Amino acid sequence: MTIAIPMLSARDVSKALVGPEGRIDILAGIDIEVATGASVAIVGASGSGKTTLLGLLAGLDLPSGGGIRLDGHALETLDEEARAALRRRLVGFVFQSFHLLPALTALENVMLPLELEGESAARRRAREALQAVGLDARCGHYPYQLSGGEQQRVALARAFVHRPRLLFADEPTGNLDRRTGAGVAELLFELNRAHATTLVLVTHDAALAARCGRTLELVDGRLVDGAPA
Amino acid sequence: MNTLRLGLRTLRREWRLPELRTLAAALLLAVAALGAVATLAARVEAALLASAAELIGGDAGISDNRPLPPAVAAEAQRLALTVNRSSTFPSVAFNGTLSQLLDVRATDASYPLRGTLRLADAAGRIIDGRGPAAGTVDLDHRALVALDLTVGDRVQIGGRELTIGAEIVREPDGGELFAIAPRALMSLADAEAAGLLGTGSRVQHRLLVAGSAASVDEFVVWLKAHRPPDAELITPERTQQRLRIAFDRAGAFLRLSALLSALLAGVAIALSAQRYARRKTDEIALLRALGAPRGQVRALVLVTLLGMALPALLLGALLALGLSSAAWTLARGLLPGTAGGLPLLPALAAAIAGLALLLGFALPPLARLAEVAPVAVFRRGARQRVRALDALYLLPVLVAVGLAWFESGSFRLAGILAASLAGVAVIAALLATLLLALIRRLAPGAHPALRLGLAALARRRALSLIQATALALGLTALLLLAVIAPALLDRWRAELPADTPNWFALNIQDDQRMPVTTALDRLGARKLNRLPLAVGKLASINGVPVASVHFRDRATRDWAEQQLRLSWSAVLPPANTLVAGRWFTADPAQPQASVEQGWAQRFGVKLGDTLGFRIGEDTYTARVTSLRKVDWTSFRVNFFLLLDPAHARALPHSWLASWYLPPGNAPALAAFNRSYGNLSLIDVNALLDRVRDIIVRVTAAVRWVLGFSLLAGALVLAAALASSAAERRREAALLRTLGASSAQLRAAAAAEFALLGLIAGLTAALGAAATGAWIAASVMDLPDFVPPLPTLGLAALAAALGVMLLGLAGTRRVLATSPLALLRRG
Repeated sequence: MTIAIPMLSARDVSKALVGPEGRIDILAGIDIEVATGASVAIVGASGSGKTTLLGLLAGLDLPSGGGIRLDGHALETLDEEARAALRRRLVGFVFQSFHLLPALTALENVMLPLELEGESAARRRAREALQAVGLDARCGHYPYQLSGGEQQRVALARAFVHRPRLLFADEPTGNLDRRTGAGVAELLFELNRAHATTLVLVTHDAALAARCGRTLELVDGRLVDGAPA
Repeated sequence: MNTLRLGLRTLRREWRLPELRTLAAALLLAVAALGAVATLAARVEAALLASAAELIGGDAGISDNRPLPPAVAAEAQRLALTVNRSSTFPSVAFNGTLSQLLDVRATDASYPLRGTLRLADAAGRIIDGRGPAAGTVDLDHRALVALDLTVGDRVQIGGRELTIGAEIVREPDGGELFAIAPRALMSLADAEAAGLLGTGSRVQHRLLVAGSAASVDEFVVWLKAHRPPDAELITPERTQQRLRIAFDRAGAFLRLSALLSALLAGVAIALSAQRYARRKTDEIALLRALGAPRGQVRALVLVTLLGMALPALLLGALLALGLSSAAWTLARGLLPGTAGGLPLLPALAAAIAGLALLLGFALPPLARLAEVAPVAVFRRGARQRVRALDALYLLPVLVAVGLAWFESGSFRLAGILAASLAGVAVIAALLATLLLALIRRLAPGAHPALRLGLAALARRRALSLIQATALALGLTALLLLAVIAPALLDRWRAELPADTPNWFALNIQDDQRMPVTTALDRLGARKLNRLPLAVGKLASINGVPVASVHFRDRATRDWAEQQLRLSWSAVLPPANTLVAGRWFTADPAQPQASVEQGWAQRFGVKLGDTLGFRIGEDTYTARVTSLRKVDWTSFRVNFFLLLDPAHARALPHSWLASWYLPPGNAPALAAFNRSYGNLSLIDVNALLDRVRDIIVRVTAAVRWVLGFSLLAGALVLAAALASSAAERRREAALLRTLGASSAQLRAAAAAEFALLGLIAGLTAALGAAATGAWIAASVMDLPDFVPPLPTLGLAALAAALGVMLLGLAGTRRVLATSPLALLRRG
């Protein structure tokens, strides 16, 4: 019998900041376990700590207490360089504001993660990824020449192009109208299924959250339904 | 909405923005540099003029061969100027049976107004003297030897018995190379009483003035309008060819340095303004969306800009005054001889120039802000390009040329600088475009980190082009100041090596050649050079007697009637260049002559013409077979007319010698002169010292200016690198989120900046070399100047390295940007 190592786990994670008015607890007592291939939605009101949690889970920041394991690696034992290397290898991102580099064409934006890995076939693979999101005709376009929906589809192509095992999506439809948002969400889940990627999704959108296998709610920095999956 | 209030509120919020601070700093630096340099230049110029005034014995004056009208002296007195009146004429002095033709200056007691008259009294003590009292005369050593007299004896000049008061050691205006007759200095009253100044005598009347610069200037302006038709103006700038060239060069150096500092600041301002405009685009789009009309946006930008600029301009002007004052005090030892308070005008002019610089360089990007479409609120890329505004980009060029002209007062220097810098900008942009295109092809095969950096450069194409061009311009200006200017100064200094001949002797007879040579060798004279010298007069041109030739002006006719010094040489002497015809063949069938081109032009002489000379009792006719250009700054003995030795050898002649003798040998030389009493010794140390003095002063002043320029250059570099900082930070945060290692980010940045630095460095080295050679030939009169290419090459590499290190230092903050910030922004 083999024991399946969860793709992502957090144990008693807390995050506090010391500001001019003293210590502020942003997150406390967070326990999460996300199995490989699972999809989890984190919902909560503005200021509940969703983005902070996402940042901690992705290794962009370190918790004040507790521990996080990403594919078995304890993030708190790794320095920023090692965490970056882990992200490069395992993680993809989709942001609310797309975060495409304005000076790069759609194709060049998608090539970025591959270039970081030193992939020699970056251009071909990026073109294929754009094809997969239906934008192969827009390879040479700059972000400002694309609509919001198109920009987010480029961002999706960039997120999946290096076949990450874990995808973090932060309000991926937050800046889009309902119809376009639905299209992008459809594409996101489709790619997720096709690549068998583990998905951690932060959203306000109940309908989007409902498409995930599990939903966790953050209220004032604590998970309301924090039972391990 | 009150635009002024909104503008000031915006300013209060934005004055901490790095680009506005850079803009303010550049402005402040430009005003301080221009103001301080202008004040310093004015001071150096004043010191140099004072130095030249010492050589002529006054600040300005007038000279005529007819008595000067009383109105001249009256005008000088009206302007409260001190006046010295003197007359020079040849006169024979007698001591019993001995007689000697003297070159006499009769002067009133105010002589000299500037500089010092060195005399030796009966005991041989050196004293500073004035014009002699009535009844006394001062004679130079040659006159004393020729007449067998000593100080205290009596001598007869113009029928009057005068007592020899002192021996003339050095006159302030003793810098002329050829004063053939021995000198005497007597009182003007005696000369008038003796009738020596009467009509018919060959008298040159001179009136010199001294006083405040403003009064002297006013006097010169008056003189130009009221002088008698043939009178000649005497001004320090016009007096000495060698000094005039030194002045011109000195001025060009100072102006060049100040200009480059200002233009560097202009580039920094342009870069900062562009960055500010980019940052403001969103805000302006919002204001436009909320209904602000274009005019209001324009007013808002202008209020913000001026609100920030005016204090910077004021501070810059104050700083300029403070710095000039400090420089003034520090440089007192360097620039002695000028009095007066700190002039305020240069600082004010600099503040106005700073305002022009600000509007000229900052307006083009900022004017576009008013054209931001309200729809840009929804889509950042939705920008309208208003073609009419493209013409605004001519503004910096116009301001730069205008400023160059205003500052240099010279179209030539302004034109060369403008053309050179424009050339550098075009070459840098072309080279950058070419390399960026090349990168696009080559990058896919490169190392991943390198590829990332090169790709980043290629992707930020427009910004990279601006950066490369700005860096190239900044580095060109720095290389011009740091490498070319010192090399030019060295080249100038090399024209006057330490052993430049400082003594000349005339009238060496054929049988004295060997003993004089031996005696001078014994004294330790170096660089001894001897030339034959025949003295005659121009008798005819193409067979027409001089008296019948129509000359273009009276000065030329006077010149034609004066004594002419002729020499001969088998080879073209150093400091001479053949510009037309051929040099003498070994044994020509008929006598040949080589003529200096200026002389030929003045007398209307061409190749093939014949010139007749009267030498002693003989007439000598030669055909002009070549024209020469002579470097009159060379401190060598040069001649307007050279003859072929095969024929001229037979002419009655003496020899002239030049040599270098280290200072402190005056007693030995005096003994030598006593042994050869017929020789005329001429000391050109004073003149040499003046020219060297000018070089030293200019070198020091240029070094001062260089400090400003280095600061301005550093600002340009900082502004150029900062112009892409926001993009770089955003990019770094994203790359970090996507898993880029810091080594990857650093290597990418290093590759990017090194390439930028290399493009800029190479272009700048080439640009500085070309501009340097052009300025040397056209402005500094140093045609054979070769730019120090190896130094420039090294400097270019160092610049590339410097840009890379500066860029990497700037990237440290970028690397420290938390990737989490990206998530926070949404």
